[in-house]
Amino acid sequence: MKKLFSIALTGAAAVAASAHAAEFKLPAFETAKLSNGLTVYMMERHDVPLVAVRAVVKAGAVNDGKQAGLANLTGDGVLLGSAKHSKAQIDQAFDFRGAVLAGGGGSEQSTVAANFARKDTDTLLPLFAELVQEPSFDAAELDKLRSRKVNGLKQAKESPRQVVGTYYRAMLFGNAAYGNPASGTVNSLTALKQEDVKAFHHRYFRPDNAALVVVGDFDPAEMRKKVEALFGQWKAEGPAPQRADYGKVQADKARVWVVNKSDAIETTFMIGGPGIARNDPDYVPLQVLNTVLGGRFTSWLNDELRVNSGLTYGANSSFSTLSQSGSFGISSFTALPKTEAALDLALKTYDRLWSKGIDKATLDSAKAYVKGQFPPRFETSEQLASLLGDMYANDVSRGQIDNFMKDVDSLTPERAKQLVEKHFPRKNLQMVLVGKAAEISKIAAKYGEVTNLEITADGFQP
Amino acid sequence: MKLKFLAAMLAYTAAAYAQAALTADQVKTFTLNNGMKFIVLESSSIPNANMYTFYKVGSRNEAPGITGLSHFFEHMMFNGSKNYGPKMFDRTMEANGGANNAYTNSDVTVYQDWFPASSLETIFKLEGDRIAHLSIDPKMVDSERGVVLSERSTGLENSNVRMLMQDLDSVAYVAHPYAIPTIGWESDIKAWTQKDLENYFHTYYAPNNAVSVIVGDVKVDKVKALATKYFGSIPKRAAPPAVRTVEPEQKGERRLFVAKPSATSANLMVAYKVPEAGSADNYALDVLQALLTEGKTSRLYKALVETQLATSVGSHSTDGFDPGLLYMFSVAAAGVEPAKLEKAMLEAIDKVANDGVSDEELQKVKNAKLLGIYRMQETINGKAQMLGNYEVFYGGYQKAFDAPAAYEKLTTADIQAVAAKYLKKSQRTVGVLAAKED
Repeated sequence: MKKLFSIALTGAAAVAASAHAAEFKLPAFETAKLSNGLTVYMMERHDVPLVAVRAVVKAGAVNDGKQAGLANLTGDGVLLGSAKHSKAQIDQAFDFRGAVLAGGGGSEQSTVAANFARKDTDTLLPLFAELVQEPSFDAAELDKLRSRKVNGLKQAKESPRQVVGTYYRAMLFGNAAYGNPASGTVNSLTALKQEDVKAFHHRYFRPDNAALVVVGDFDPAEMRKKVEALFGQWKAEGPAPQRADYGKVQADKARVWVVNKSDAIETTFMIGGPGIARNDPDYVPLQVLNTVLGGRFTSWLNDELRVNSGLTYGANSSFSTLSQSGSFGISSFTALPKTEAALDLALKTYDRLWSKGIDKATLDSAKAYVKGQFPPRFETSEQLASLLGDMYANDVSRGQIDNFMKDVDSLTPERAKQLVEKHFPRKNLQMVLVGKAAEISKIAAKYGEVTNLEITADGFQP
Repeated sequence: MKLKFLAAMLAYTAAAYAQAALTADQVKTFTLNNGMKFIVLESSSIPNANMYTFYKVGSRNEAPGITGLSHFFEHMMFNGSKNYGPKMFDRTMEANGGANNAYTNSDVTVYQDWFPASSLETIFKLEGDRIAHLSIDPKMVDSERGVVLSERSTGLENSNVRMLMQDLDSVAYVAHPYAIPTIGWESDIKAWTQKDLENYFHTYYAPNNAVSVIVGDVKVDKVKALATKYFGSIPKRAAPPAVRTVEPEQKGERRLFVAKPSATSANLMVAYKVPEAGSADNYALDVLQALLTEGKTSRLYKALVETQLATSVGSHSTDGFDPGLLYMFSVAAAGVEPAKLEKAMLEAIDKVANDGVSDEELQKVKNAKLLGIYRMQETINGKAQMLGNYEVFYGGYQKAFDAPAAYEKLTTADIQAVAAKYLKKSQRTVGVLAAKED
């Protein structure tokens, strides 16, 4: 395979679009608010007889407090049956109809999503509504799920690529809410009880803190009635939860975390610092600039680390956005003996943003690229439902989508230079290296203050 | 990319057998005088298009000394041709709004371009130039060796399943080149010569050994004109040599163990010999695979995950020109002995042949296949992949449209019969990966 797809730090943010092709328009959709406060988005599409439904709740790992993994366990736990139907009945109902049912909790949003045939709407939408509003969190099933997640966490640490981003987040945000690992840790997950999950659901899964997104093949008048009937009685009790300050990236000095994996044959790394929020007015032009640096095959980082030097199979960079702030990171990996060469080259290449800048031809190419690659990102109902959910959870206005083309086209080399100065972290870079500490620790000291971690230790912090 | 085994992906790939709303007469084809065939489907839902070119060459065409060469060639196809020097293929494509990737497996090498429909001619120029006039620059060969070594090691570093599957293949096949890992053995990656590369290109990269599928906001007439202009003058070549080796019949169960010190739990893989892609048993086997491993109500999920013996189950099968393997695997829960997991897994598999399947279970899989078709046809890329796979492996893209009827016709007896015929002890290879051997 020619390319590896880039490491996505947060599932939700990775879906975010980058630009707008001239001919492409976001399909029309309607937004409504039920009297209980539930926001409803509906977008009709009739290419195939499928409906994508998702409930997006503004709650995630940022609300975990000391109980890392709570939002995530709750988001998945929702699927374990409702007050009226057991897990076996739910699984049977969805599986028999070829439907997909998924739950989960990320940093700031929890999502319950279903995808089914139009003809099964009247059977499956009520079950979906039950799961969102009155999940049972059956004790025996919850125990099994938690145990599977604990095992999954241990297994994830066998693969540096799966966990390097979690260490990086923890390093950047420290003890702030944004530093919480969404997956939890082995110890924190093990300690979670059924009552914790129930309380979390009660506190955050409420109509005035959630949106329902329906995209696909349906009749809008009928769907409005169904949504009103199935979600209109959902009650919110007491004052709605408010978002707090979830923290900022800490980068007052250059730091290196060396995560020891004693049988590693390569070094997996991330380098960077503070980034931007999902609704930052510069979000779109920064996608274009990052395309030049590390967002496509001919990007500077991939060109230098892969094409020119053969040090790695792939190198990339990305802004990982959150609702209040975000981070920026360069990611790659290399054979153990090449660690220093790859890190030096990554840093040198990154510095070209300032030492050399982005010329007009390169910028024009990147603009054409993000515009050309935009339409396939919103081709399916599932992709569009995900976009509408992200817009709700991250307070992104339609303007950011509608102005894509204008924002991309108006970007000049002068403006690019200003944006580089303003948004790309240049000093006090933060670095995570996952690999064989015995051999890379001495190299690490060159790049900043070193902290040593063991990959087999609990969690993602020293 | 050899591995596409995740259950979620299987829902897409395994269900790639048909279209519902789409009909065969919407698909247009033409063949150039040099034998290169084009399949075109006009689809204007987004202002984009794709071009998937399938070359019938993969690691089954290799031998010791040149293992990994098909895959390496996939990389070299991006490293310069007569009118587009090193780097210019990607630079030109990206500056015109296009992106690309490619994958190699045991049977085919497939090049995928995704682009705004307005860039169609640029894509044809680029693709035509590299087939007609590829440069094999020794300097590029050297740096690309490093890239492929990194690709190989990052696969082994990050995926236990990949490591186990690679070793399992070398045990399951004693003669056939399906034993060769597509990425190649490390020593071969470091050693193949300029001459090996040149021979390979001239043997396999012929227009008459390729099929190109184009789906998107394009017009057939325009595609035909561009194909003739940019591919028409490339000379036809002699047909590549046939793969002669036939895998001898397996006479009993085979086993292997792979030690990986950092593994926190055991990985178990069981692979059974199954026929080639075009076989009449294919549909029944596909249904059998789904009812064993896909979804939370599948046999293995219920027998292994719901009982907490395992944390996940999955399966994998590849379209192949020759008889291949149906892989099923699971990751043990911490502390569960591989032998215990194996016993439960084999019991669940054997139960199908022994006791059969219910009408409801069969209907469930048929329903899932239909939804899989809808999801596939939501995207231009799903359509291109489907048409190409059927054209190359199943005797024609039209077969994609016959498939729904073939699935619908299947009975519970058919499923039990293929289970009895193929999921036999003598035809399986069992692999275990764990931290250390007992």
